[in-house]
Amino acid sequence: MVRILLRFSENVVEKPIISEIILELKVPINIITAHVDSKGGEVLAEVPDEALQKVIKAFRKQGATASIPKLIEIDDEKCISCGACLTLCPVEAITMDEGASVVFNQEKCLGSTCSACVDACPSRVIKSVKQNRSELVANNAG
Amino acid sequence: MKRLVESSSVEVAFREVDVVTTGTFGAMCSSGAIINVGHSDPPIKIEKAWINDVPICHPGAAVDLYIGATSMSKQQAFEYGGGHVIEDLVVGKEVELRATAYGTDCYPRTQVKTRLTKDDLNQFHLLNFRNCYQRYNCAVNGRDETIYTYMGKLLPRLRNATFSGAGELNPLMNDPDYETIGIGTRIFLGGAQGYVIGEGTQHDPQNRFGTIMVRGDAKKMNPEFLRGAAFTRYGTTLYVGLGIPIPILNEGLAEKTAIRDEEIFTNVVDYGIPRKSRPALAKVSYKELKSGAITVNDQRIRVSSLSSLKTARKIAGTLKSWITQGEFFLTAPVEHLSVDSVFKPMRQTEETSFVANVMQDAVMCSESEAVKVVAERIVTRSVNHIVVIDDNGKLAGIVTSWDITRALAQGKKALGDIVTRRVITAKLNEPLETASKRMAQHNISALPVIDNEKKVLGIVTAEDVSKLLGR
Repeated sequence: MVRILLRFSENVVEKPIISEIILELKVPINIITAHVDSKGGEVLAEVPDEALQKVIKAFRKQGATASIPKLIEIDDEKCISCGACLTLCPVEAITMDEGASVVFNQEKCLGSTCSACVDACPSRVIKSVKQNRSELVANNAG
Repeated sequence: MKRLVESSSVEVAFREVDVVTTGTFGAMCSSGAIINVGHSDPPIKIEKAWINDVPICHPGAAVDLYIGATSMSKQQAFEYGGGHVIEDLVVGKEVELRATAYGTDCYPRTQVKTRLTKDDLNQFHLLNFRNCYQRYNCAVNGRDETIYTYMGKLLPRLRNATFSGAGELNPLMNDPDYETIGIGTRIFLGGAQGYVIGEGTQHDPQNRFGTIMVRGDAKKMNPEFLRGAAFTRYGTTLYVGLGIPIPILNEGLAEKTAIRDEEIFTNVVDYGIPRKSRPALAKVSYKELKSGAITVNDQRIRVSSLSSLKTARKIAGTLKSWITQGEFFLTAPVEHLSVDSVFKPMRQTEETSFVANVMQDAVMCSESEAVKVVAERIVTRSVNHIVVIDDNGKLAGIVTSWDITRALAQGKKALGDIVTRRVITAKLNEPLETASKRMAQHNISALPVIDNEKKVLGIVTAEDVSKLLGR
């Protein structure tokens, strides 16, 4: 599965776009997080790798923007394992092992849509990093 | 030591163990470095100086400077500061020094700009006036908004907690009566050997909040144990690695160094309260703190550390290997740390204003009242804000004269349709400055004052604040 970030403007937020695309393409779309109100919406969703291109195309056609969200990365070399980021993670993607080292589970991480840990890092070693889509697809295939 | 005392006895441990090593690695803001940059030609008596755009103190004669860890760069405020300058110098990076002066007959030069590495400095001494707190508070935030503090990012309504300190590994906790620690004690400091030069500022031994003042040759230090850091919206600081060897001179010290995290307690404190004295919400042990969660008023709160236990352990281990390999010799202190110093608050000769000083009676209404009735009240009482309360006198919302005007124009009659329910409030004992900052931040002109039970006590308005300031 690949995570995509969907943004809906005020003009299209009332339309049932996600349901329509699921029905039209017969592709499962798994919603990870969603913030929607009358002013617009932002949805982080997972789609199967092989359907990525057509799903993105379909959302753009409906007037939504679809992009690959930035990933959060922790520079292990520079991380001092203080743990300041731990309690800020809403999905517990950051934990501490028995040796008191900070361990980051990128698969659990919500990515740049959350970023709650970024400004809590005193060493400034947590960054959102743009994903290279081809590399990402290759990684998933491998 | 801890295991030996548990499995055998204090007597056995005293016979078997010669030295217990300790360690801590945390943000220590009262740190810095004294440097001597040498004389230029023609010479300059530096008045103002910057390194990598970070303002540097000039506390002494011509070219002696002090890099304070919390001094911040103008260009990259809150991101790069004195702590980072020290780290960069320790790493061996070249830094830019810029200085100005008024010029004298003996020091004619008025400005200088140059690039320096630690090798160009005559002295580069880490000189920290308060390090190694024996233990520290555990911080939470009772406010409705996220706050950024020197205890890190604290989520609203006690949704997380942070703590600092190594607990049972802390140097002063292992020798709480300072039998072996004092002026001249050789220690691990920033990856090199350093010395305790006295009690730290704010040393508070009777409350188990002891501190030390330390010095060491920063040219020999290692950036793994000396790291610049940035706390969002608080500022920059320096993580300092510090370890002290405790010689086991008597059975008492064997027993004291066997201290466990479950025996070290600290208070959970609400950093959302902008006052010096913050009430303790709970008492927790370092064992609970290190477990990842604490309980306060039956609420489970995830807690994380700001200091690195991993590096603290490494420091204690490194110090141990130095000693066993004969690279580090223990010293007896020339003078012991004080055990009865008192940490006094500031003597204030000018009055500070609190919300209570300017608060007025709030004009109130209940939600069942009609818009027209409330409109009349605004006119007769000549106010702009009406606080809406429920049957128990508790805050239910707020309406402004603007809300009422608009409702009348649109023909709305029920107050319930126009009430703002998410009300930004103030507390009675809050400094006026924080309350007025909150008004500016939310672009509003009044804050209902409530107690902990949300009962309305009054209202403070921007108008009252400016009247007071204009006095």
